Amino acid sequence: MNLKYLLLAGSALLTGTAASAGGFQVTLAGQKNNGMGGVGVGLSLDQAAMFYNPGALAMVRERGVQVGINATMARSAFRAEYGGTQRELRNSTVTPFNLYAGFGPAEGKFRAGIAVYTPFGSKLQYADGWEGRYSLTDITLESIFIQPTASYAITDKLSIGAGLVILAYGAVNLQRDVPVQDQQGNTGHVELDGKADNKIGYNAGIYYKPSDKLSIGASYRSQIDAHVKSSNGDVSFSNIPASLSTRFTAKHFDVTLPLPATASLGIGVMPTEKLTIGLDANYVFWSKYKALNFTFDGQVGGATTSNSRREYKDAVTLRLGGQYQLTSGLTVRAGGAYDFSPVKDGFVTPETPDANRLGLTLGASYKFGEHFGVDISAQYQDLQKRSQTQDELIANGTTDRIAGTFKTKIVIPGIGLNYNF
Amino acid sequence: MNTLLKRSSAALGLLGLALTGCQPDLDAPQADKGTADFSNYVAIGNSLTAGYQSGGLFNEGIQNSYPSILAKQFAKAGGGTFAQPLFADNQKDGSGYLNFQGFTATGSPILLSPGQAGNTRTYQLAYTGQSLLSGERQLVAYTGAQPNNLGIPGISVLSSVSALTGGLAPYGLLNPYLNRLLTTAERPTVDYLTYIGRATPSFFTCWLGSNDVLTYATAGGVASPTNPFSGLTDTTRFGQGYRAIVRTITKNGTVKGVIANIPNVADVPYFTAVPVATAIAGIKGNTALPNAAQASLYIRTGAGTVREATSNDLLTLTASSVIGTTTTGVPLPVGVGYSATQSNPLPSQYVLDADELAAVRTRTTELNKIIAKTARQYNVPLFDVNTFFTTISKNGIAINATANSTSFISGNLFSLDGIHLTSRGYAVIANEYIRVINENYKSSIPFANPDEYQAVLFP
Repeated sequence: MNLKYLLLAGSALLTGTAASAGGFQVTLAGQKNNGMGGVGVGLSLDQAAMFYNPGALAMVRERGVQVGINATMARSAFRAEYGGTQRELRNSTVTPFNLYAGFGPAEGKFRAGIAVYTPFGSKLQYADGWEGRYSLTDITLESIFIQPTASYAITDKLSIGAGLVILAYGAVNLQRDVPVQDQQGNTGHVELDGKADNKIGYNAGIYYKPSDKLSIGASYRSQIDAHVKSSNGDVSFSNIPASLSTRFTAKHFDVTLPLPATASLGIGVMPTEKLTIGLDANYVFWSKYKALNFTFDGQVGGATTSNSRREYKDAVTLRLGGQYQLTSGLTVRAGGAYDFSPVKDGFVTPETPDANRLGLTLGASYKFGEHFGVDISAQYQDLQKRSQTQDELIANGTTDRIAGTFKTKIVIPGIGLNYNF
Repeated sequence: MNTLLKRSSAALGLLGLALTGCQPDLDAPQADKGTADFSNYVAIGNSLTAGYQSGGLFNEGIQNSYPSILAKQFAKAGGGTFAQPLFADNQKDGSGYLNFQGFTATGSPILLSPGQAGNTRTYQLAYTGQSLLSGERQLVAYTGAQPNNLGIPGISVLSSVSALTGGLAPYGLLNPYLNRLLTTAERPTVDYLTYIGRATPSFFTCWLGSNDVLTYATAGGVASPTNPFSGLTDTTRFGQGYRAIVRTITKNGTVKGVIANIPNVADVPYFTAVPVATAIAGIKGNTALPNAAQASLYIRTGAGTVREATSNDLLTLTASSVIGTTTTGVPLPVGVGYSATQSNPLPSQYVLDADELAAVRTRTTELNKIIAKTARQYNVPLFDVNTFFTTISKNGIAINATANSTSFISGNLFSLDGIHLTSRGYAVIANEYIRVINENYKSSIPFANPDEYQAVLFP
């Protein structure tokens, strides 16, 4: 059984949600980090450094294997400007996942590893008959990245590292109703289902620890354009009236979705041996996401393309978190993050009902003996209530989405296991 | 292991609790009546108020009339019950309506009336079998509660006030829709002005006047000599009639409401669905015609001249089924010509020629001035439907990710007759009324969701 098969088999589990960071980014890559507001760029906590800052990997004392899984449970409320009933999601849980294995000589300057994680994803299922159904009824966006990583300590204070970031699996499923009805009043529906091409990007980082009490890190992850080519993207229609069949002939679609680059800076402060505080800033180059353009091999409602404005702006996330070692076995964590939404006013879409968000996290680790440990974490995210009016949508040329007010809250418990040697 | 299970189930229970608390709630929008009182809303107007669509008045249309949609929204802010003059359940299809059977090979919609050859739909009609003085078929009388929706298809300002025509044309004996609301005794004597005077509204909407220009326009600018209401109503009598109507429904300016004006007839699909250029292209592409490239569309204008049609002329929706047909004894098909003398011109009733269109536009502007002035005089806010339709005929109107336009069939707003709206179109109109009401009466009536109302249903 090869790795690809394994990943595909598990793909139902391996999803993130729009709900866990700005846009459709998911930052749940390490269970320890998850308990600390998502900091990690300026720290060398564990093997998850491969994601947060590959430069810090060489400074991670242990080698080992760790896995983590999170359950993202988003709850939304929406009221349309035209039609004011409160609509909620058909509740679903998605489970972003991470896996790391780090190797290297016990006392050497060199570390290598492999990471598997899900940095982008989304799953939202809107209530039947909701006002925005002609924009979106369901979305599932999945991605799995595999990252072979190497890191080297140039001195005992300075290390660098880099990884090849491979988009090993990407899948999209988008569904919406089509605003045509047959004589029984049934509404048309279209489903787009596709698999993305494999793509390669990179990440790189540098880590500097001038003293026992301070560390600094910087990292960068490149943009990857997820591309579903026509042969991998299927279009299917249902409930289209017979007399309109010639206007709904598409079988395949082609689309490119930019998964933007991220630059991060982090500082770690260790006032005592037991206390670690991290402060991170992430800058995500969302402004590359200008539009979502589909090309079809036939007609969809009389058109062969669909162009939807996104016009995202670059966005910053600020994170603060800490951990304290209570006993030799137990470490507790807490943190918070503030995420500035990349989505401008009047551009909010049902597929990413984004808003500035505050995240609060708690976590703990317990070590069973020398080698084995369990990490648990819990996050609560509160998205600001966000409204847009039909007049704003008309002014922006974004009437393909819906005017109204969105409010979302998310709870994300997670658990990780690690084995170090 | 047991303790671990117990502990984790306790933890799961806690988690469940946390999640229940997690579902956010958004406060329901405030629905405030402001300074208005919607306890007894009465709507006066013509077919657009009655809920007429796809060439007929029937229960589903009545139930989705804009006054009915407004009343549903008013009910959220103290609005009362809203009675409508529905047909009996076993006659629910009323006057009948066009059936959309599909498209022809060239993409034209096949629209069939009740009883027309090939129409596969069965209707539950409400005709008595008798005819009115006008020759129109009589509808079964309405006997229910005094309706709040007083819309009468076909009625104009001129036909609302019998004094304007010297009482010579009793409208209750001519119009089947007014006829069915009046008792046998009332029909020869009670005009619409008198009829609406019986209502005691706390709030009203008035959308009258369209038929004072539209009847003439839809007949291609041909007034019927036997029908005194088929021309363009003159400004003098329109002013007298309109002021009388508003004085009556406002009880001398004491009742609040909204007045809507006359839309531009050239914005409706009835006049835009078949552009002259398309008809000309069809003739030039007709290989059965000798020297087709030299042929064109020829029309007979209202003034009687025969000439080639231009883009300043508007063809009626009915013209498409006439152009190209044969006339006995004439070698050329209808509409086809090579010159003014060598042609079979399209009869005048199928074309609103440039001069007629200009006359309709001028008169619409004049009548709308009278409407605006009367509204100001009685301190009633004006809903400028004319500007609204002109705007959406240019830009469309998108709501809840549905693009709506004034296009025929595909635009969602206009029904199969190309003049009247679909239920969705009426919901869009209701929302515009709400906008005017909220702006003028400090109220906050929530908008309806037009998508909940049906547009054209496709076979």
